[in-house]
Amino acid sequence: MTELRIEPLERALLHVLELWGDPKRAAKQIAKALGHDLPGAGRAAGDVMRLSPTTWLVAGDVAAIKAVLGDSGALTPVGGGYVRARLSGSKWRSLLMEGGLFNAEAPEFAADCVATTLIEHVTVTLRVESAAACLAYFPASHAADLLHFWQVSAGGLPQ
Amino acid sequence: MSGVINFTFDGRALTAKPGQTLAAALLGNGIKLVGRSFKYHRPRGILSAGVEEPNALVTVGEGGRMEPNTRATDLFVYEGLVAISQNRWPSLRFDAGAVLQLVARALPAGFYYKTFFGPPRLWLFYEKFIRRAAGLGPAPTEVDPDRYATRAAFCDVLVVGSGPAGLIAARDAVRAGKKVMLVEQDAVIAPSLLCDPQTIEGKPGHTWADEIAAEVRSSGGRVLTRTSASGLWDDNFICLSEKLVEPGQVPEHGLTQRYWHVRAAEVVLATGAIERPLTFANNDLPGVMLSQAVRTYTNRFGVVPGKRVVIAATNDDAYRTAAALRQAGAEVVVLDSRTAPAGQDSGFEVHNRAAPLMANGGKQGVTGLIALIDGAERTFACDLIAMAGGFTPVVHLHMQAGGKLDWDAAAQAFVPGAAPHNVRTVGLAAQPQPAETLGASGNPKAAFVDFQNDVTVADLDLAWREGYRSAEHLKRYTTLGMATDQGKTSNMTALDRIARREGIAVPEAGLTTFRPPYTPVSMGALAGASMGEHALPMRRPALHAVHAARDPIWFDAGYWKRVRTYPQGSETLAQSGLREARAVRTSAGLCDVSTLAKFAVQGPDAVQFLERVCATTVGKLAVGRGRYTFMLREDGLVFDDGTVWRLEANRYLLTSSTGGASRMATWLSYVRSHLCADLKVSVVCVQEHYAAIAVAGPKSPGIMAALTGAEAPRHMSVVHTEIAGLPVLLLAASFSGERAFEVHFDASHAEAGWQAIETEVQAVGGAPYGIEAMELLRIEKGHLVVGPDIDGRLTAQELGMGKMLNTAGGYIGEACLQRPDLADPMRKQLVGVEAIDGGAIPEGAMLVREMATPAEGHVTGSGLRVIEGGSIALAHLRGGQGRHGEVLYAHSPTRKVTAKVRVRSPHFYDPAGERYRD
Repeated sequence: MTELRIEPLERALLHVLELWGDPKRAAKQIAKALGHDLPGAGRAAGDVMRLSPTTWLVAGDVAAIKAVLGDSGALTPVGGGYVRARLSGSKWRSLLMEGGLFNAEAPEFAADCVATTLIEHVTVTLRVESAAACLAYFPASHAADLLHFWQVSAGGLPQ
Repeated sequence: MSGVINFTFDGRALTAKPGQTLAAALLGNGIKLVGRSFKYHRPRGILSAGVEEPNALVTVGEGGRMEPNTRATDLFVYEGLVAISQNRWPSLRFDAGAVLQLVARALPAGFYYKTFFGPPRLWLFYEKFIRRAAGLGPAPTEVDPDRYATRAAFCDVLVVGSGPAGLIAARDAVRAGKKVMLVEQDAVIAPSLLCDPQTIEGKPGHTWADEIAAEVRSSGGRVLTRTSASGLWDDNFICLSEKLVEPGQVPEHGLTQRYWHVRAAEVVLATGAIERPLTFANNDLPGVMLSQAVRTYTNRFGVVPGKRVVIAATNDDAYRTAAALRQAGAEVVVLDSRTAPAGQDSGFEVHNRAAPLMANGGKQGVTGLIALIDGAERTFACDLIAMAGGFTPVVHLHMQAGGKLDWDAAAQAFVPGAAPHNVRTVGLAAQPQPAETLGASGNPKAAFVDFQNDVTVADLDLAWREGYRSAEHLKRYTTLGMATDQGKTSNMTALDRIARREGIAVPEAGLTTFRPPYTPVSMGALAGASMGEHALPMRRPALHAVHAARDPIWFDAGYWKRVRTYPQGSETLAQSGLREARAVRTSAGLCDVSTLAKFAVQGPDAVQFLERVCATTVGKLAVGRGRYTFMLREDGLVFDDGTVWRLEANRYLLTSSTGGASRMATWLSYVRSHLCADLKVSVVCVQEHYAAIAVAGPKSPGIMAALTGAEAPRHMSVVHTEIAGLPVLLLAASFSGERAFEVHFDASHAEAGWQAIETEVQAVGGAPYGIEAMELLRIEKGHLVVGPDIDGRLTAQELGMGKMLNTAGGYIGEACLQRPDLADPMRKQLVGVEAIDGGAIPEGAMLVREMATPAEGHVTGSGLRVIEGGSIALAHLRGGQGRHGEVLYAHSPTRKVTAKVRVRSPHFYDPAGERYRD
């Protein structure tokens, strides 16, 4: 495993899914369409990450959700405003401690865990892909600075 | 360790052994005079061997790496180290400032307070001299070229201090399955075992210590050396300052220090104790040192600071120093204050019931000590005086955690008592060695308590006589315990003196506050990566690269980097701004307005939500139409404005100001979650999803038609269309007084969209414009911006927008509009003002009837008539709407600019809005 790789990714199709009224009922319909439940607090499933009790971030095509959503919620495109990067290698957790305040080194922060935190003043949503990689979502306006910060920090991580 | 390290001190080439501190190296080179004292410029040497050092402060490093006031005792020598002594001129040996010693009687405690009073203007005279005399080492003037990192860490147990007690605590925690951080301010683990070598659990002390450190590491814990726990806050939040290289040293990979933010479930403080000096005349001369420091230099660094040594002692620890010195070949005499025969069988020359009275000697060191032994004076020839005055436990972090202190009578010291957090203290910090206190002896005017601030026993006595009884007052009056050492060696001595004067016990004398940091922390470490262009978060709009290629004049709008103007040739800011504005008035311009706040509001109850948030009517908007709107706080005052667009039956786009975007997002979230939790509505911030380009000017409808292949939408209409094959949302809205459009692209398409629009704009003679032109245009039209115009203190009526309020009510803030005080006609109201006699109207200027009369308002934004010229401005004026035609002065005394102005309507340009009609 390489020690650390910081890889900006292509812009993705991203939507915020917000449910209102009786989210449980709508969630059942959506689960049927997705083939899995909408993830709970601090979790991701498939292409969906939970952001708050009534909102999720959905990557990729949302046609299946749209088809069953009806009057239970709304999908809002937001992908133009996000940049994604994959942090991989044995030191991705260590990198996230630089300028951060979230315990990315906790073993409980494992695959399919999601956390939104601040790193160097920037709001970053993290999704653990595996023991060796994590996806980071952050505002496009901060992307240049955050990526620069990570590149510089990567060269000085403690042992 | 072997080898030789080369360094310089005041330009003199010297050598050190690896692992030596600068202090050890200087002593090893026979150098005792290291600095000059702050106030009297008295010669000073090395007192201690640790971070408590008050005397041996040096400036190290060069250029941007220069660090003043570095303790020579806390600096490990490296190849090429450059150290310079401080507070002296022209040299350390011949310091002109030493003349102050002759007038020391005229510089008592409170000298500044007693001397520098009188007419305020005299302070301008005093200041020059005070500033020149103030401070210790010089601050660096060049930019620090190195990096500082800030890092978070979490652990079950944080152990501060790696002496035997700290190591045992760390080992216990590791074996209990805890994640441990062990931090040590020294360069090695268990430095006390180098000072006092011993066998622990059958192993050489350092082998034992290294094995525990390895056990911590192998368990997943962390061991940090050269790391000081600088402060402890609520919930066991501890900051650690880690030196990755020594001060002034060039870091291999550019990283010089790391500042750790640690959350620990438990904190174990094994911080040890600091030895107390004794108080006698000339106790500050070079060659007067703390006893443990002498032992440290002898045993750890292989440097024997003196050959004929007198140890003045109040406790048994002194005899360990005596043994170390004798082992190293020095002659030793012990003056023990106690009557108990503690030293009876030591084999040393010991004098009991003895106290030092006065050290003899000069800047090159001590030559003797006059002592009082059983009431008789006796002089001892010596080249080193070691002081063993007892121990002060290091309780700083315990106190910062909100802990209490208990008084340990045997040790004559405060020890940690109850701690509210999960913090406990172990080792010598909890159980210091017994010692007695001796009190001051000898001439009190030459007996120093605080070496760094030149505070003598006489100063304390004077302050006490003048009524300063509280420890906090006394500190501020005499400066005792201030500056880089924060009284680590002086505070207890001072408390003892106060207690003796008052006739009370030391615990009754009170304490000063133990504030962070424990030892000085570099400003760079606190700043971390937030330096230079990264000092603040910078937000770049999607079109940043397009703008940067034109080398514009930038404008920081909050964290956003926006374009102020695109100067051509040698144009000034004002010239280019006016040119760009004129292009919009006469032809067309395009402007990046991506930073506007934008919110997607969807759902069956979207309109109900919007009619709560917006104070204008929303429900009557037809699909495809939009309108200007504004928002009130619950107190009825306007705090933001924007536009609302009905995209589909249940789908709206709400825009608001750039500067207020974060506040609006928070506000909408609050309203959605708490005031409208039952509504079926989704509110999502899409500020960055859309990049927006404004196209303004009389030729803009034609440009839009050319770009979309269809007739441009009429004013305040919205259509979904395509530009350059890209889907866009096209809003017909204006902030310039001209027909204008906002084209909203998915931000990832922004650059292609800009290129397509700019081509068409340039084809009609137009040009890009920035914030400067936008300001000129909107002020002339009377459009408001959030911040200066909409400043959260005026009502809609006062801003001239009362007629737009939703007459059906129901919006947030409506109830408070009935408050009687808001009906006061003399509250400030928005007006326009125009210069009568030419000249610029200073922005922010006060509006006054005559010079020196009270301000009745202020200018919120000033500009020019774009085509005709002439200064105009928007302003807030008491009762302004009824004062049109009145002549006032816009007066800025700080800029010494005044303009005569006439009050009028804020709409200077096309007040009927005819230019919006096709």
